[in-house]
Amino acid sequence: MATLSRRAHGALMAVSLTPFLFASGASAQDASAPPADAPVQESREDAAPALTPEELEEIEKALGSDAAAAQQNAPTGTAAPPASMPGGGSALSIPGVNTPNTGANFLDLSFILDVAAAAFTDKEPLQSGAHDPTRNGFNLQQLELSIGSVVDPYFRFDANIVFSQFGVEIEEAYGTTLALPYNLQVRAGQFLTRFGRINPTHPHSWDFVDQPFAVGRIFGGESNRGLGAEVSWLAPLPWYVEVIGSTTDATGEATARSFLGATSERVQSPFDLQLTGAVKQFFPLSDDLSLMWGLSTATGPNPTGYRNRTDVFGTDLYLRYRPITQAYNTTLITFQAEAYYRRRQVPGDVLTDFNTYAQAAWRFSPRWATALRYELGTAARGEDGARVIDPLDPDWTESRNRVSANVTFWPTEFSRLRLQGARDHAGWRDEAGYSLMLALELVTGAHGAHAF
Amino acid sequence: MTMRLSRLFAAVCAAFTLFVASPARADLNVVTTLPDLAALTKAVGGDHVKVQALALSSQDPHFVDAKPNLALALNRADLLIAVGLDLELGWLPTLQVGARNSKILVGNPGYLVASQFVKLLEVPTVQVDRGQGDVHPGGNPHFLYDPRQALSVARGITDRLAQLDPKNAQAYRDNLATFTTELEKSRADWEKRLASLRGQPVIAYHRTMAYLADWLGFDTIAYLEPKPGIPPNPSHVASVLAQGRQRKARMVLMESYYPDTTARLVASKIPAPLVTLHGGTDFKAKETYLQHINEMVERLEKGLAGKGT
Repeated sequence: MATLSRRAHGALMAVSLTPFLFASGASAQDASAPPADAPVQESREDAAPALTPEELEEIEKALGSDAAAAQQNAPTGTAAPPASMPGGGSALSIPGVNTPNTGANFLDLSFILDVAAAAFTDKEPLQSGAHDPTRNGFNLQQLELSIGSVVDPYFRFDANIVFSQFGVEIEEAYGTTLALPYNLQVRAGQFLTRFGRINPTHPHSWDFVDQPFAVGRIFGGESNRGLGAEVSWLAPLPWYVEVIGSTTDATGEATARSFLGATSERVQSPFDLQLTGAVKQFFPLSDDLSLMWGLSTATGPNPTGYRNRTDVFGTDLYLRYRPITQAYNTTLITFQAEAYYRRRQVPGDVLTDFNTYAQAAWRFSPRWATALRYELGTAARGEDGARVIDPLDPDWTESRNRVSANVTFWPTEFSRLRLQGARDHAGWRDEAGYSLMLALELVTGAHGAHAF
Repeated sequence: MTMRLSRLFAAVCAAFTLFVASPARADLNVVTTLPDLAALTKAVGGDHVKVQALALSSQDPHFVDAKPNLALALNRADLLIAVGLDLELGWLPTLQVGARNSKILVGNPGYLVASQFVKLLEVPTVQVDRGQGDVHPGGNPHFLYDPRQALSVARGITDRLAQLDPKNAQAYRDNLATFTTELEKSRADWEKRLASLRGQPVIAYHRTMAYLADWLGFDTIAYLEPKPGIPPNPSHVASVLAQGRQRKARMVLMESYYPDTTARLVASKIPAPLVTLHGGTDFKAKETYLQHINEMVERLEKGLAGKGT
């Protein structure tokens, strides 16, 4: 694993440098290229009709006095419209007005149903995801209502509300900025933190019926999420580099398990919040082959003592082969792997453990695909390297590994049937457990696109 | 040591500045969803625009991966041109939001929907649901097969380029005039060459042929897909084959991005030639829109002569 990641890293470095060389080479050859020290902004500005600084000042003054007048005229109790626009003053109009043929489209609604029939050899299956099938017979995994809309020129709004047999849950509800300058974007509300690849996603975008146990073990059954705010920045580099930082509440048994979890600790200082950071890099190796590589980290308080903290470090790799340059080739092969290293301060010790999964999926015809996944989770070790009892998972005294395989059939892109089998070998149990699941998923409504 | 480091640093800075500076050479940076739109934009924009298409011509435009490098292209765009009619619904909105560029969002001057310039066909007159397959509720989005519609789109693009970049407005209008003359001349030639296709029965794979049929006057009697987006099944294919035989279909038409085994079988059993069309202009290889349509006309000509492609 270590050599593999080192080698991959070397390749990435080579790839990431290539665009630099290309860019500089191409410009050097072109005699008409502007001198290297020419400010970028200059050639942009002479594309627009030239205005003198005096004219610009006049415009600003006029806008200022208009805004002041609007403020005076505004009825008491009503906020005046903002005097200046974010986004560098680019002209903005009301969304939806300029979209012919589709009419007004103010709210996108969709429902996604996940149900499964399951059979387990274990009396108590070790499923860790809150929406995993967990018992023999029929399981309602979830019914997701997702709502999305552009609110105004500055925000869009997204929510995922999940219905289960036990109630309704606001899984996500957040606003995303649309017009911040400097390639910035802010999300605020309740959202899944962008740690790794699986954590920020919903079951209908997974290649398996259930969640990798690493996510459930470290963050909780619902994946890491919380109320908070996130800032992300797209770096002005020749290749895609996104830097993400978020701060969220560190509480919730099913969403912040390694942090404050279900305890009733209060936020007393900024250090009592969970901080998550990530860097995502994308490399289009060719039109057919893409590579995404992410590094993530999360840190937050845990309830075991004064200022005891938990840190999680992760890396994720996603390789996607889809031969779009070849005619009538609908093959899709993906490889995805994530590794999580967790470190927790507890009274008198520091616990560490390691969890990982690797999966490969192969869509071999437009309607059929098969996938294979391997997962590993180690027992917690103390500072001296010896195995110790983990207060969160007292049973977990040995390594656990699980192998899952499945076959998926899509009648259309809006429905899918999946048959999945798994062998779960938890070292602390006498025998390995086996499971078989048949899952049905239905998507209806205007379900939006997924991120890569 | 410090000397070497500072020289390296200077070199990196220079490379970076060159990279950042180079795209600013064109006056407008335009990104289009489909390569046909890119080719039309290049035809009227000329040297004043830098154009990039998000999808390849070999790719099914319904299913494009929302790759982050596409979001990066949108981040640096002054203008995004899309087909509309929900064709790009599965992948474009995510890219638009991820691009962090308010210029190219719906409703702003930097976002142009090409379908607004088109006389739409196959607009459902009754209420539709997905039981009818992957239908486009706003009308059929495959209008760029018809050069007359493409000309209207080119006009629309010209107006928008002129609005965003008034300094070069005259250049855009001149390019449009040249393009119009060339296209009208070619169109007369194409129509003459394919005159015998008028009224002929043809079988198609997906509902992409409405505008081509409207232009060339052939009659699409059946589709290999039982419903749009649903792959062919045995009983449906059997009925298509029976119709093809009975009405003596002249050819089976499909795009190169669809699997061709079933189409090949049906064509051989009718018998009729299987004519495979490129789904769009190979803009990446510097093909122009006129070259693309001309190539398509050649393939249809061969099909009329009984030869498949």
